[in-house]
Amino acid sequence: MKQAYKFLLLLYPRGHRDQFAEEMTSVFEEARNERHYQGWTWYVRFSFAEITGLIAGATGCWFGKRPTPEAAIANGPESTLPQELVEAQRRVDWNIAGMVQAIANHQYERARIHSDEERQARENLRLLQKKYGITG
Amino acid sequence: MRHVVPQVTRPETKPLTEPVLLILTSLAGQPRHGYALLKDIEGLSGGRVRLSTGTLFGALRRLLEDGWIERFEQEDTSRQKQAYRLTAAGRKQLQLELDRMKQLTRAGFARLRASEAV
Repeated sequence: MKQAYKFLLLLYPRGHRDQFAEEMTSVFEEARNERHYQGWTWYVRFSFAEITGLIAGATGCWFGKRPTPEAAIANGPESTLPQELVEAQRRVDWNIAGMVQAIANHQYERARIHSDEERQARENLRLLQKKYGITG
Repeated sequence: MRHVVPQVTRPETKPLTEPVLLILTSLAGQPRHGYALLKDIEGLSGGRVRLSTGTLFGALRRLLEDGWIERFEQEDTSRQKQAYRLTAAGRKQLQLELDRMKQLTRAGFARLRASEAV
């Protein structure tokens, strides 16, 4: 379950993961360990609540009321960024959104493909940031 | 690349969501870390509300962005165990929400009494 939890954390934007992933995993483990003796029905309910909570939380991060990264790029001073950099960021965002949607629809193979592509897209973005001297 | 996210302020009169209200209420007593918050919220709600970690940390992130809570350095603070506490702005928002609820509760009871008297 811990591995599944860590996998689902990949659905969150990188900023959220950097800030909270370790803490979330730690709290999840504390909650799970404290009550594991309550039996498998409790464990199933707990796991279901955690999985849906993570998917909802990640969706909220990406599509919530806050401006999306794309909107922030379009509206902010970074709108003057090179087009290929903006496209690379969009590619990362698109793959993460696809991963969220695939997991919500229980299409785990599709989610894995998006996850792999997101890694490649993020690496591409990192190289472009390096090329243009932009720190992430 | 750093995303530039404009500060979004909530209207003061907008009701808080239940998780946010419970988190602010829990932190009004003392600073707490994530798991302590989950436990306290469960107790505050009489066992009715058990937040998932996704819900809890989504709310904590928004509250940090709004400046209603802040991270609180403790001796045993690590990346896995951050403590949070209310800021002055958060305390004010909680006070406003509790006043709003008090007003609503009074009005509700007054109408119930009036309808029973008829």
